[in-house]
Amino acid sequence: MLIYTLKRLVAGVITVWFIATATFIAMHQVPGDPLMNDKAVSDVIRQNLEQRYGLDKPVSQQYLIFLSNMLPPDPDFGISFTQQNRRVNDIIKDHFPVSAILGLLAITFATLGGILFGALTAIYRNRLPDFIIMFLVILGISVPSFVFAALGQLLLVNVNALIGYSFIPVAGWGTLMHMLMPSLVLGLGTMALLTRLMRSSMLEVVNEDYIKTARAKGLSPIRIFLKHQLRNAILPVITILGPQIAAITTGGFVVEFVFAIPGLGRYFIQAVQQLDYTVIMGTTVFYGAFLVLMVITVDVLYGFIDPRVRLK
Amino acid sequence: MDDTILEVTDLSVEFATYGGVVQAVRGVSFTVQRGKTLAIVGESGCGKSVTVQSIMGLTPVPPGKINSGTALLNGKNILGLDTKSANQFRGVEIGMIFQDPMSSLNPTMTIGNQIAETLMVHRGKSNRDALREATVLLERTQIPEAAKRAKQYPFEFSGGMLQRAMIAQSLACNPSILIADEPTTALDVTIQAQILELMQELQRTENMSIILITHDLAVVARMADEVAVMYAGEIVESGSVDDIFYKSAHPYTLGLKQAMPSNTANREKQLIPIHGSPPDLFAPPVGCGYYARCPHAMKTCERNPPELFALGDEHYAKCWLQHPDAPTVDALNQMDN
Repeated sequence: MLIYTLKRLVAGVITVWFIATATFIAMHQVPGDPLMNDKAVSDVIRQNLEQRYGLDKPVSQQYLIFLSNMLPPDPDFGISFTQQNRRVNDIIKDHFPVSAILGLLAITFATLGGILFGALTAIYRNRLPDFIIMFLVILGISVPSFVFAALGQLLLVNVNALIGYSFIPVAGWGTLMHMLMPSLVLGLGTMALLTRLMRSSMLEVVNEDYIKTARAKGLSPIRIFLKHQLRNAILPVITILGPQIAAITTGGFVVEFVFAIPGLGRYFIQAVQQLDYTVIMGTTVFYGAFLVLMVITVDVLYGFIDPRVRLK
Repeated sequence: MDDTILEVTDLSVEFATYGGVVQAVRGVSFTVQRGKTLAIVGESGCGKSVTVQSIMGLTPVPPGKINSGTALLNGKNILGLDTKSANQFRGVEIGMIFQDPMSSLNPTMTIGNQIAETLMVHRGKSNRDALREATVLLERTQIPEAAKRAKQYPFEFSGGMLQRAMIAQSLACNPSILIADEPTTALDVTIQAQILELMQELQRTENMSIILITHDLAVVARMADEVAVMYAGEIVESGSVDDIFYKSAHPYTLGLKQAMPSNTANREKQLIPIHGSPPDLFAPPVGCGYYARCPHAMKTCERNPPELFALGDEHYAKCWLQHPDAPTVDALNQMDN
């Protein structure tokens, strides 16, 4: 298990290096440069700025400098081009925790809801609760999150108006109350997906021979469900959880935008629009490393639930 | 015959499918004696598995439906009980093992836990006691290093070991009947012999009855005391193992025997297959189910369902050829045919 984890980590580092390199190349292929602005810049100022950010050096050298700065134990992504004197490390440090909490809550909502509703639909297969939930699932998968975000805000406005004070804030960040609606909205798509997956997985497991064995042993339906069905049915759900964490944390910026949440997503988008080289590189590599780590974590976690994976 | 432990009478089971209603079991009756082995023999789809699964309450309802019949376990009907009442005898009075041991055990639970579970549920044992007893059970089914094995998962076991573990599990509460649904079909021949030997030994020590479902006549000859031959959802012939093998009274039994390779190499003696395929149970034939394939079929067989003829002590056959007016068929009812 340890060797397996180590192997995955080494592969993860290589993946991150790939991400960094690809981003670097793609970024420099975009027409224009970060110093272009509405205002005319004199040649002297331009030269000074280029010197400061190291843009006067050949691209290959810039790449090497960037890589060597990024190396642990003290990765340094440099200074932002557009936000005067702000270090990229600080931007990440200030804003990533917000995105991470949002993403974590969303994933929690999605997983718990997905497993619960998936199991329910399987138990009530082809009966009314199944039809209702499956209809909602299709909505959840097909409606984009910004629509849900707006609808969620509208709902909060009405609820608050009804109560008379701002019980659950419509936007902003700070308390748990602030976090509820955005994380719910963010997790909704994934919850729908997991519900479907859980449902089909449950229905598959119900027909397995070992369920028949469990019934022949004279176990109660509840015990069969908890001890024999659930754990086996959850396996495919866990598999997909890694990529879904990726989707949620990177897809969070729309929700962050609508709910005015000071997360990292906004800086990421802004940086791409303004060709802020250092911020693009910093956030991309950071996100990349984070997601790789998440996928590895999920894979290792899988080993604890499925003994067949553990020993490999 | 007062040592009857299970008496099944007139069991009929049907399944509602998209294609129509399948009459999988059509009026099956048999008895199981204490400490004896009843083998139910027949080809795939003849309803033998459905018969025992209905008794255990394992047929899914719907689409399955038990139309008629009773199954008296120690004089008490166990057919068509709700789950809660059924769990009073499942795993306690009747244990069951299945065809494919690889898929019949939960892949994410240790073997020991799966055996202990039965003891915890039915005997109210603590987790620890149950686990200890599970190890003893594994030892009794001759699994080496039982304590270590109990902590392992099904994927770490071989097929034969898994079937031993299944047997250990089904014996946990000392059931009076063990239902074995094709227990050796998925195993190779040497392992098959070991499993059968184990079952016989446990039967002797526990004075347990076995209902053995199989399509393998060699297994029947080795294991059975009584045999019921099933065809198209009916028992066409039943009797002691000697009656069935040496005085076969139904052309189907004879056909099965002739299709079985013998131990002695003999170039001249060819195997005779049974031609055709079983009747469509969506619309069961009016007369004898075997009519279309029977080499000795008579006119009456097509329209009239054969009666049950008693041929001797506990030897019955459902075939018109046993009627006093029927022509004699040389091969039937003969010693050593």
